[in-house]
Amino acid sequence: MAVDLIQIKGLKTYFFQGKGLLSKWFGKGLKIVHAVDGVSLTIRKGRTFGLVGESGCGKSTLGQTIFRLVEPVEGEVFFNGRDVVKMNQAELRKFRQKAQLIFQDQFGCLNPRMSVGQIIAEPIVMRRGQRKSQQEIAQDVAALLRAVNLDPDAAVKFPNEFSGGQARRIGVARAIALNPEFIMADEPTSGLDISTAATILNLMQELQEKMDITYLWVSHNLNQVRYMSDDMAVMYLGKVVEMGPTSEVFDQMAHPYTKALISAVPQVFLGKKKQAIFLKGEIPSPINPPSGCRFRTRCPHALRKCEEEEPALIDLGGGHLCACHLQSH
Amino acid sequence: MSEPLLEVSNLTLDYNLGTRKMRALDKVSFSLDKGEVLGVAGESGCGKSTLGLAIIRLLPRVAEISRGEVIFEGTDLLKLSEEQMDRKIRGQKITMIFQNPQNALNPVFKIETQMVDILRVQNKYKNPGTQKRRRDFRQEAIERLKITGIADAEARISNYPFEFSGGMKQRVMIGMALSSGTSLLLADEATTALDVTIEAQINRLITDLASQYGTSILYISHNLGVLSDVADYIMIMYAGRVFEMGRTDDVFGNPRHPYSAALLESLPGHQAKGNRLLSIPGFVPPLDRLPAGCSFHPRCRFAEEMCRQQAPPLIEVSKGHWSACLLDQKRGRQKWQWI
Repeated sequence: MAVDLIQIKGLKTYFFQGKGLLSKWFGKGLKIVHAVDGVSLTIRKGRTFGLVGESGCGKSTLGQTIFRLVEPVEGEVFFNGRDVVKMNQAELRKFRQKAQLIFQDQFGCLNPRMSVGQIIAEPIVMRRGQRKSQQEIAQDVAALLRAVNLDPDAAVKFPNEFSGGQARRIGVARAIALNPEFIMADEPTSGLDISTAATILNLMQELQEKMDITYLWVSHNLNQVRYMSDDMAVMYLGKVVEMGPTSEVFDQMAHPYTKALISAVPQVFLGKKKQAIFLKGEIPSPINPPSGCRFRTRCPHALRKCEEEEPALIDLGGGHLCACHLQSH
Repeated sequence: MSEPLLEVSNLTLDYNLGTRKMRALDKVSFSLDKGEVLGVAGESGCGKSTLGLAIIRLLPRVAEISRGEVIFEGTDLLKLSEEQMDRKIRGQKITMIFQNPQNALNPVFKIETQMVDILRVQNKYKNPGTQKRRRDFRQEAIERLKITGIADAEARISNYPFEFSGGMKQRVMIGMALSSGTSLLLADEATTALDVTIEAQINRLITDLASQYGTSILYISHNLGVLSDVADYIMIMYAGRVFEMGRTDDVFGNPRHPYSAALLESLPGHQAKGNRLLSIPGFVPPLDRLPAGCSFHPRCRFAEEMCRQQAPPLIEVSKGHWSACLLDQKRGRQKWQWI
């Protein structure tokens, strides 16, 4: 049985948009963006947790809240049993050594004026308590570059000299520099060619096996999440609508949104064309989410009850949870 | 057999960058019938976008077409003057949808202004001499928005582009592009920037409208899944050349070129977790330094001596299925198993 590394309980992250001081003091004209609205989930150690949903569903915000790059309004995030939300600066610094990020924009996250060696060495240099000589650091950097299948000579080059796939691997090398336990990968292959994306997926699987890293895999590419993850959650407008072991969710998808999402994924299918479910309209604004079930405005099966009452996550067996009134009928 | 709508033969194009000469298209030939959808696939830098731009002649000045023909409805587009292109072809008979609808719409003008402009120009060339009032154009623009499924089109037409979501902006572009007069639509990664559910909606919209008007589509995408959904025929390109071409089911179900087989094997979705995905070793070569022989040979697992020396021609290997692989041509059909 795998141990739980991260436990999120009732996490809420809101953004406040106001017009000025008046709204700040009196709450007048204040708009609240319900980016993450009561999410609870558990990430098992050494496994990959896939988080999927359309843009604006709050998946990236959820990830950022785990790292406290964004402060939550409410809720708890336990990392190895300690609540990240309550950590002070010193504790946070320690936590962030063990938890790392891989960003979506592979060039945007690399400083163009720093050499690749400096970029990868930065977390090592920044770590307190351990002084390392220049030579030791250079050795570490070379080892990291080799671990991500780049030539150690790359250390003296600058980010603009690399292709998209290589830049992404530099990001991976920096993320694993401090032997992290947990890595959040936010759309780690977006913008890459098919074959290059496959290289990154292979590399990250290899690292997981070698270093026992836990991944939070944020993506809207369902094929990839199916291939990479052990457990997954589907988010819609700040809420988890379905969650469970990946194979369960794909084989026995229960929520109408999951069904539509999965049917919409373009697949290389031969012979018969599959029947895609087309959703009406687009994702509503998270400022004024629909009452009751948030998906009801686009749901092909919406009932009256869906408007009045918010569905809770119900266990369908084997840890497969779904929040839909149709399931309880 | 009807006459093909578009027939491209031996299209060869170079980008002249000072001392370097990059061959972006090398003897590309294909034909497209009325109402058909041809999907063009390949890694970045393989020339698929250049192909679209070459057909509608929107290439940068450094591009030079050294040979070939683009016969569209009986006329060679390459021989037309710029003015003739504007008057008869661009935005009239052939229209294009780009990847990023954000950049294709002017942020400081209302949707209405931009659509009416287009309609006015189209009308000027289509029915010269007729006078139409702005109100009529506005009505037509609203009709087009309705066709593309924008709710409350009468009100939304006075919005600015930033008030539209990505999917809606792409709908506006489709509304501008597809009209009864359009016979060829070039869609260059038209849904890449959109979410999957919206992507499915937009692709359905494009194909539905196209079949309604009998429009042919050249659908450029690197997403093989999308192409398998929308396209009747597939063309796989690599480093400016056509490697394989045929009916979608033939190319994806029975690839006759190792490169096509490799692309299919690098997609997650067919393997169980734990099995590694295929990643083709090496990179797409720079276009001014293509290897001799088959340009794919340094990356091809199956390459032999002859692949290094002889450039493979594109040959019809079975009915309606073309492939440019020497091994396949000399030894007969093979199963290209990369892993």
